[in-house]
Amino acid sequence: MDNSIEIENLTKIYGGNIKAVDNVTLKIGRGQVYGLLGQNGAGKTTLIKMLTGILKPTSGTAKIAGFDLNKDALKIRQITGVVPQDFTTDADLSGYENLKLVADLYGVPKKEAEERIETLLNMVDLYDVKNRRVSAYSGGMRKRLELICGLINTPEVLFLDEPTLGLDVTTRSNLWKYIKSIRDEFKITIILTSHYLDEVDALSDRLSIMDHGKIIVSGTSDELKKSLKGDIITLRVKNDSEEKIVENFKDAIEVKKMEMGDIRMKVNNSDVVLPELMKYLASNNISPESISIRKPSLDEVFIEYTGKHIDSEQKDYAKMMGFKQR
Amino acid sequence: MGGLIPLTIRDLKRWYRNPVSAIVGVIQPIFWIVLFGSAFDIAKFGVRSAFFFEGAPDYITYLMGGILTIIGLFTGMFSGVNIIWDRRLGILQRFLIAPINRSSIVFSRILSSVVRILVQVVILFVVGLLIPDGLKIAKGFDIMDAVILVSAVLMISFIFSSLFSIIAVRMTKMESVFGIVNLINLPLMFASYAMFPPDLMANWLSNVAKYNPISWSAQSVRLVIINGSLSASQAHSVLMYMTGLLVLSVFMLLLTYILSEREIRE
Repeated sequence: MDNSIEIENLTKIYGGNIKAVDNVTLKIGRGQVYGLLGQNGAGKTTLIKMLTGILKPTSGTAKIAGFDLNKDALKIRQITGVVPQDFTTDADLSGYENLKLVADLYGVPKKEAEERIETLLNMVDLYDVKNRRVSAYSGGMRKRLELICGLINTPEVLFLDEPTLGLDVTTRSNLWKYIKSIRDEFKITIILTSHYLDEVDALSDRLSIMDHGKIIVSGTSDELKKSLKGDIITLRVKNDSEEKIVENFKDAIEVKKMEMGDIRMKVNNSDVVLPELMKYLASNNISPESISIRKPSLDEVFIEYTGKHIDSEQKDYAKMMGFKQR
Repeated sequence: MGGLIPLTIRDLKRWYRNPVSAIVGVIQPIFWIVLFGSAFDIAKFGVRSAFFFEGAPDYITYLMGGILTIIGLFTGMFSGVNIIWDRRLGILQRFLIAPINRSSIVFSRILSSVVRILVQVVILFVVGLLIPDGLKIAKGFDIMDAVILVSAVLMISFIFSSLFSIIAVRMTKMESVFGIVNLINLPLMFASYAMFPPDLMANWLSNVAKYNPISWSAQSVRLVIINGSLSASQAHSVLMYMTGLLVLSVFMLLLTYILSEREIRE
């Protein structure tokens, strides 16, 4: 498969010392949906902003559909579509007027633009409200409009930056449906950034995990899950016995105390280890608060490679505010 | 400069669909003309207006040149800073990812302000003529004078929309820009011949106002409104003022082009 995007040692440094993107090298095949998974602040959006010409890289280069980021920025903007994280449509204009404006900015001929606008509005079920001002749209409707704004120039590469951020569960799953139909109908390369594991898992052909501006690991979701080699037992105990448990089960493939206080054990076969663990807890008078066994998931993959939960920031905040954790 | 026309149309749509700002933009100068214009009725003291107000039959006629110039100043200023709204609302990002010259984002604002100024100039002229004992245009006022009048006001708009576009190219806080607007608009207006003739001013202020482009525009407009057919010395004055405005406009527009292409950020 030939590559639609080739990124080489791309780096963005803010203020002389903050590395938002750190020496990223990545190849993305044509026609793939490629997920970039990472916590807030991992560098995903900065990477997208560099690839779409909004930010200038500090160093490194990239080729998009054969065009050099540092030399052909205008051409790259012509052949890419972008759905930014924030709303970028004008709330004082109607949905139709916003699409017409974007079509004009991309120089789409009038007749072609009209046909395309109609097709896209129908695709995301906004045709009936096309003349309503965007200020009267719901968050989900506006996000759908943003989605098709990114498609008006029939791009070769589409960047979706956190497309479902801040949306409720139903609206999110609806938006997934539209993203899947774009993937199936348009056969274009889609770069999807998200900090929702299920989203990346459901939509991506391949993915990379980003942390602190770096690509930590890349592969298909299945490849990454298989790379974990083992079941995961997560245990939370009431008293301060974590260290003792970690010490006692150090023969497991891996055992460690996580930042949220959980003990995470990776074992070859949880069916064998679990009875041993329960016996140990009972004999040492340790009462478990919770215990779970999981076959490898993308969540586990993220923890394995970054050492933290993808939503640990939110959990820390919840803990600080005194909310109960599930 | 791809994008200039669609972005200008978008800006104009936002203007006429927001009746409050459109109406305020028209009513405010009318207040100036009607209220401030009636503040100096020196005829009551048996003094000829023409003596104090450079040949103008009354203060309203004298003031018109200044008010038209101030319309250009304010419309220009706000068209420049409005880019910050687009930045804060996220809309600017959509324009930055489009394959257009970045300067067209700024120049579309300037172009739409031209339309807005023309509308306001016409309304102000009509209101000035309709109010009792209002604006009195000289008999010899012809199309060439109208061209001078509109050009002077538009050039003031170009100069100040450019200046504020440059200021706004990277700013994110509307409050800071409004602070700057408030800081400079009063000295710009009062250290000029927009509202008062140079002979009535303290010498130091009159000397400062001589170099203020607001004075150049106000005096040019005033000379053609009050006199119509200009004498040789008046024509020379207008030529000098208009040349000054043209040079400054071209310089500021060029600077705006260069800086907006290089520096504009989301």
